[in-house]
Amino acid sequence: MNKNFVLYAAILIFGLAAPFLFPAFKVQLSILCVLIVLATTWNIQGGEMGYNSFGNILFYGLGMYLCASVQVGMFFPLAEWTESGGEKTFVHTPTQFFQGMAVGLVVAAVVPTIVAGLIGYSILGLRGHYFAICTLGLGVAAGEISGGIEIIGAGQGFTTPPFPNVGSLEARGEFFYFLSFFTLVLTFIAVRSIYSTRFKLILNAIRDNEDKAEAMGIETMKYKIIGWMISAFFCGLAGGIMGGLVGYIDSTDVAFDGREMGVFMVLMAILGGKGTLWGPIIGATIFHIFKEGFWTFFLGWQYVALGVLIVVIVIYFPEGIMGWLREKYPERFGEVVDEKDRKAQVELK
Amino acid sequence: MKLNKIILSFVSALVILFSTSVASFAKVVGDKIILGAAISLTGKYSSNGVHTQNGYNMAVDRINSMGGVKVGGKTYKFDIIYYDDESNPKRAAQLAERLISQDGVEFMLGPYSSGLTKAIAPVTEKYGVPMVEANGASRSLFTKGYKYLFAVLAPANLYLDVAIETAVELNGGKPVRIAQAFEQDAFSQDVRLGILDAAERTGSKIIIDDKLPKELNDMAATLVKVKQMKPDVLVVSGHTKGALTAIRQIAEMKVDVPMLAMTHCDAAKLSKQHGKNSQYALCASQWHKSLTYKDDFFKDGMTYAADFEKEFGYDPPYQSAESSAALLVFKDAFERANSFDQKKVRDALAATNMQTFYGNIKFAPGGQNVDKPMVLFQVMCDASGSCENKVVAPLKWASAKLIHPIPKWSER
Repeated sequence: MNKNFVLYAAILIFGLAAPFLFPAFKVQLSILCVLIVLATTWNIQGGEMGYNSFGNILFYGLGMYLCASVQVGMFFPLAEWTESGGEKTFVHTPTQFFQGMAVGLVVAAVVPTIVAGLIGYSILGLRGHYFAICTLGLGVAAGEISGGIEIIGAGQGFTTPPFPNVGSLEARGEFFYFLSFFTLVLTFIAVRSIYSTRFKLILNAIRDNEDKAEAMGIETMKYKIIGWMISAFFCGLAGGIMGGLVGYIDSTDVAFDGREMGVFMVLMAILGGKGTLWGPIIGATIFHIFKEGFWTFFLGWQYVALGVLIVVIVIYFPEGIMGWLREKYPERFGEVVDEKDRKAQVELK
Repeated sequence: MKLNKIILSFVSALVILFSTSVASFAKVVGDKIILGAAISLTGKYSSNGVHTQNGYNMAVDRINSMGGVKVGGKTYKFDIIYYDDESNPKRAAQLAERLISQDGVEFMLGPYSSGLTKAIAPVTEKYGVPMVEANGASRSLFTKGYKYLFAVLAPANLYLDVAIETAVELNGGKPVRIAQAFEQDAFSQDVRLGILDAAERTGSKIIIDDKLPKELNDMAATLVKVKQMKPDVLVVSGHTKGALTAIRQIAEMKVDVPMLAMTHCDAAKLSKQHGKNSQYALCASQWHKSLTYKDDFFKDGMTYAADFEKEFGYDPPYQSAESSAALLVFKDAFERANSFDQKKVRDALAATNMQTFYGNIKFAPGGQNVDKPMVLFQVMCDASGSCENKVVAPLKWASAKLIHPIPKWSER
């Protein structure tokens, strides 16, 4: 723990100073924090538990709609806010905005957790591809259903409350950055402490051989559900923040954005190395930087460039960056390798 | 411990990368006024995004070659920084932020579609960046109290209510039965609200009210109902894809309906793509080349259409025309403000009162253009099978008489 202290302190200081060092990049940095949260929590299922979920986007979108709805609904009639023909203009005072956001975020975290428990109970019995496809359907269905609910704007979309005027133009960027950075730190601490308990070993046991784990007396279902609920909690939180940051929620393009966010969170975790603590974080950071770069330098071709990146990842880093490093420098990961052994392996190849 | 070193060096690499990538433009560099725009070059709105971009580019070239913009005794030329928003509101909002805070853009042009404009408007509003947009028609854009948003087009709820009124009139003033199907997006849903208003006003009844998914490829279920219930009017709106899908399936299923009212016929190049199948479709349009508005840069609609066709190889849809008009508005405002101060330019924009080849432009306090009515045109084909869009309403500009009711498929 002490060894890592310098590292953690450095990252924390960097994180706190980032918006002042790069004031123009606050929004990108906030999005980076959200991406890391999504990748890290996806890793609980995809990496540690071996359940490739495409459904985490459900909790993200749910959190987004819930946070915005609560933030509006606490002070104004929600139906009038989202009604497109409405002639009234509602403005949040700063106090209302922040109170609403606080309560909204709590709801955005808690409700998806409960939903994850309920859905998990019914579908976590599925394994492998069946689970992946089923969760893929969840995200798509949620997008279409929410696009038909009038009170949250339906196809019109939902404009989240504009950030109140608190004097400085930079306030909005800083507020959302620190909110997302705080969420990231919270997620990291939570995930890290979970990974140091028996819980992680159980998840790994499920990944490696679920039947055997069950035979050993582990109630796998219970742990699978709890794992998913933990992910849902943080995904919901991330969604709530993202809604406020983007300022406009569209059912399929922003909230239940399985085509982008839903796939990105998987990609980032795989790029960094699934089943590791740092993998998703590194993966998300590199991915985000590449994506932003492609956007600027390959305008119109960004998806081609992104596609090439994905192909390269899959071919050259099937185990992700962390996995690749681990294979190359096993000693640095605390693995003891016998020199003879290594030579023997090289010869075998 | 070694692992920590790797991560630490990674973090420091990140710091270097971020700090070297800060490139800053200013809004006015040398003799250039740099405008920013996020446009849908890919994704579901890509065809209309390109129409928008072509419209912008055409006007930039024209204004620059005809003397540019004169501010403070100096001549400036327009330049536009484009980004691709991928038809995604999340991306559009990010790009707006990026254009303003990273690229230093101080004046913006709008994206394509109401949804994306809705995502960008809060950002431009926050920074006090004047935005003239040409493709966000949703009424809710103009009720949010935005001060820096100006739309050269009429709001979406006015698109097709004329069609309903015309149908009632042709029905001897008696209410009609309406079937409607709209895509789940901000613009189409607003068109729907307009129809609801018109129906209430005329006492008409809505017998089918369907919502269609985005990226509209199939509306057979709605058309089956239309066949069964035989409404007097069928209203469909779903951007370019919606228009194409509707015509394709109506022809395939031989759906007979006395009046078919749509949006985006010209953007979808219906008369070219579907020829005679698209005949009789009644379309709402912000602009038509046969209208008689005039200005100094493009002369009139016919000249604009000819020049546009020469440059881009197709007849300009209204999306291109209104986009070109946005730049004329900006030029006019810069010259009247005689300054690049954002507040002054904003005030000049608010006081705009001008005529362009596209129509009169005068902004209401909400930012929408209140001085330009919508037109309705009908796709009409001659015996040789070549089709053309002809204005049928309002009567002032009508170049043909509305054909009503649409002949049955068995009689065509």
